[in-house]
Amino acid sequence: MDPTTTDAAPSVQTGVPRRVTKPRRQRRIAPYAFVTPGVLLYVAFLLIPIVYAIYLSFRGLRVAGGAALGRREEVFVGFDNYAKALTDGDFLAGFLRLAVYGLIAVPITLGLALTFALLLDSGVARLARFSRTAIFIPYAVPGVIATLLWGFLYLPATSPISDVSEALGFGVIPFLNGSTLFVSVANIAIWSGVGFNMIIIYTSLRSIPKELYESARIDGANELQIALRIKVPLVVPALVLTGLFALIGTLQLYGEPTTLRPMTSEITHTWVPLMAIYRDAFLRDDLSLAAAASVVLAVGTLLVSIVLLRFTQKRAFGE
Amino acid sequence: MATLTRPAVSRAGRAGDSRAVGASGKLLPTIVLLIGAVYCLLPVAWVLAAASKSRSELFSTFTFAPGSGLLDNLRELFAYGDGQFLMWAYNSLIFAGLGAFLSMLVSTACGYGLAKFTFPGRSLIFYAILGGVLLPGITLAIPQYLLMSELGLAGTYWSVLLPSIISPFGIYLSRVYAAGAVPSETLEAARIDGASEWRIFRSVALPMMVPGMVTVFMLQFVGIWNNFLLPFIMLSDQRKYPLTVGLYTLLANGSGQPALYSLAIVGALLSIIPLVALILFLQRFWRMDLISGGLKG
Amino acid sequence: MRTRITTVVGLAALAATMVACASEDDSDEAAQPDGPITLDYWAWGTSQDGLVEAWNSAHPDVQVRRTDAGGPSDSSAKLVTSSRADEAPDVALVEYQSLPAMIVADVAMDITDHVGDLSDSFNEGVWSQVTFNDQVYGVPQDVGPMALIYNAARFDELGVDLPTTWEEYAQAAADVRAADPDAYISTFAPDQFGWFAGLARQAGSVWWEVDGETWTVNIDDATSREVAEYWQNLADEDLVDTGPILTPEWNAELNDGNVLAWPAALWAPGVIHGVAPDQAGDWRLAPLPQWEDGNPNVAFQGGSAVVVTTSAEYPEQAAEFAAWINSSQEGAEVQIETGQYPASLLGQEATLQSDPPELMQGQDEYWEIAAEIASSTVDEISWGPNVNVADSAFQDAFNSAVTDGTPLVDALAETQQVVVDDMRETGFSLSNE
Repeated sequence: MDPTTTDAAPSVQTGVPRRVTKPRRQRRIAPYAFVTPGVLLYVAFLLIPIVYAIYLSFRGLRVAGGAALGRREEVFVGFDNYAKALTDGDFLAGFLRLAVYGLIAVPITLGLALTFALLLDSGVARLARFSRTAIFIPYAVPGVIATLLWGFLYLPATSPISDVSEALGFGVIPFLNGSTLFVSVANIAIWSGVGFNMIIIYTSLRSIPKELYESARIDGANELQIALRIKVPLVVPALVLTGLFALIGTLQLYGEPTTLRPMTSEITHTWVPLMAIYRDAFLRDDLSLAAAASVVLAVGTLLVSIVLLRFTQKRAFGE
Repeated sequence: MATLTRPAVSRAGRAGDSRAVGASGKLLPTIVLLIGAVYCLLPVAWVLAAASKSRSELFSTFTFAPGSGLLDNLRELFAYGDGQFLMWAYNSLIFAGLGAFLSMLVSTACGYGLAKFTFPGRSLIFYAILGGVLLPGITLAIPQYLLMSELGLAGTYWSVLLPSIISPFGIYLSRVYAAGAVPSETLEAARIDGASEWRIFRSVALPMMVPGMVTVFMLQFVGIWNNFLLPFIMLSDQRKYPLTVGLYTLLANGSGQPALYSLAIVGALLSIIPLVALILFLQRFWRMDLISGGLKG
Repeated sequence: MRTRITTVVGLAALAATMVACASEDDSDEAAQPDGPITLDYWAWGTSQDGLVEAWNSAHPDVQVRRTDAGGPSDSSAKLVTSSRADEAPDVALVEYQSLPAMIVADVAMDITDHVGDLSDSFNEGVWSQVTFNDQVYGVPQDVGPMALIYNAARFDELGVDLPTTWEEYAQAAADVRAADPDAYISTFAPDQFGWFAGLARQAGSVWWEVDGETWTVNIDDATSREVAEYWQNLADEDLVDTGPILTPEWNAELNDGNVLAWPAALWAPGVIHGVAPDQAGDWRLAPLPQWEDGNPNVAFQGGSAVVVTTSAEYPEQAAEFAAWINSSQEGAEVQIETGQYPASLLGQEATLQSDPPELMQGQDEYWEIAAEIASSTVDEISWGPNVNVADSAFQDAFNSAVTDGTPLVDALAETQQVVVDDMRETGFSLSNE
């Protein structure tokens, strides 16, 4: 990286011009012109849908008059949908599954990403450029396709992994059964996510001034000590951010289990909350319940994010 | 291990830590990274092998053994539904390319505005955008569909393109980057010279923000290209599908039709190639450290 | 009672008309085109392009544009949402089991006036699948009378006799296991709602019954429980495989000759041929095993009808299209050529002149057997207004039962409960407790 861009790496500034020049009309209007397109789109495609979802969550479709094949009409149903979502054992069990999945996927993704990034940064590994590129490639593979690929690698009759384990006398590995299923689903996320997170951490490592290492070496620290005591603490902000995204990604888990569902009896329509929401909205044509569940999920995500940020001492997003 | 030898070679301008290390010290990192590489390439190798298999070979021969049906599979894929595969690829390119480009422009302008001006409402907008970063975008897909329906846009290109343009994270990144890369003094100097705000933005700020823009573009491009749920919900005409949804439909056919695994696999291979190429190409230009850069301190 | 339903349907029609009036200058009940018009048609499957092409060349003034909106369940789901957004196509293919839900969601239009006289073109059982309270909501396209297809080459090799009753089927299953420990006669797929419903219907259970305005749900009646127990026993004794079918895993087992039969419907040969083309000629068609010896009745699994949607701008032309592709000689030819078993009597007769499907090469009497099976279908439908709810609840409950080793009858009761609760909440009147 050339030094000018390194210098320009965003340090925390207030972003406010320090000297106030004489006010000009253009200058008062200009910021609004710059932010208007973004704000308009934000209102149109985020804010209004949120408000609309909240509105919908208090509505429901009911048959008027009780005819055998009567047409359903939309009516106000109060908190019925929330009561239903919050007492629905399947929906809540989905959060529990997410927790198990997240406890596997998030630490392993970040741990591997950090390890790979430190090894790349150490500058001692051979074929580093090849490895870096190879590890990054899964980022380019859409989740639906990644799941298809791993699905074939999981199913006993088509899996080379099971071929090997059988040859070694361990028998078929039941990738899609029992608690192994969580590992298998998490593995797809880990596979897709390690490279991206590795690059974020790696580029953060590269922007650390090298003089810091030099002085540590003079003090007799070895590479491992440098990595653990200097590098890791300095990339904590990157780890917090990647962790936050991994967490949000966890709560949004949908595509992988949905694509795997036809291949195994273990995955129900409500395996994770988003699958339950999709089922309610489209398979059951109950948009109101889906809206209520979406609101619950969104509020849950915000709470988890805020808690995480609190725990990590407001390191992220701080000014 | 620690020696005081200065680095013999400093690669890519970096100095200080690529020092003379014994062969054994190099071996472990190399092996660990190579294991990671193999792990990441394994499914890719599988897709290469599977794409070459004919329909009966796919389920009957050893997983990594190459088959004899590559050309047939390709021919069948391109013939499927009057060449629908190419249409899906074209749609993906439009959604991802145009969507990411517009998203980059909107994010850059918005980020610049938030970073370099003080104005009433600035904090409100900034926190609203932070909230947007934390919100699972997917939960909005259904209300977005209903909204699009109200506007009469459901099922059109717009219904996928418009929601893809707004990226709270892109705006956040651009704001962080503008704050760091565009010195306020330079802007002041330009103002004193009498340049208009638009001109300052175009000729002074934009060139300084290019690496940040490339990063936003790439993140959005990959994000939109890989998005499944939004186009799946919005679109019902298979001629408008992007690749992800198109390939999914090959797998999820009706009871009277088997899943078209061979076609889906060849299609998967073909759809990965351009994205991998693009990422390898743009890897040199983007600034991933941006993502965490704003968090220091 | 009848009048009440008529009133509701009448009101819906009136509302539809008002919408039509609001959007059209035309004050006729249905708009009449001035020139050539284009209809949108949503349908899945390999037969549709041919059907549309045949229609388009015979009807230059009413051109049809077909869209593949996904398989049956995706397509139906989208139909409901798009209809609410008033973006629905004019004509759409819908599975019989989803049709009541389409009526309740106000997607399918009453087309009795346009196609009412078509009833003679179909046998009674088929026609009853699109008729509710004497009102016609669709035109049957293809049907899936349930049948057994089996790998005759492997049956011979293992010395297993072709079963004609379910009792014999259990014996055959045991014989297969004894002769080849790697092979199973078939798979009990816990996620096949329509399949299980068909078997329960064959045994005599009517899952949804309506008397006037009151529904009764019988998903866990004694008959259905017996069917569940039958498969429970086979699964417990490891005589059938359990797990999803048509997965890469199952396909591989099928190619290895470890899946010997598939009790499904007349569309099954095309599916197996798509997965295991090398086994062409090895397979044969036979009637589905019977619950009682001597009662050849079978139910339907799958099959679909073409409906005109309430968003249709030109319902008359749309209904004409639906009628023509499903009851004309031209349509029947396309259907047979592309592997559909036609719903129309004319089409079913035409099959007798055809060659057997590739998978059954050499079984010259294939179509005669098929016609025999089709003529023995039960002549009463039993789908309710929330089959979609039942379907996903059934899949989840049965999958869990198989995974956790809990009784299938409990899963049946669970499904029943979900369906009853849903109907009650939606406001239907129910006689269930």
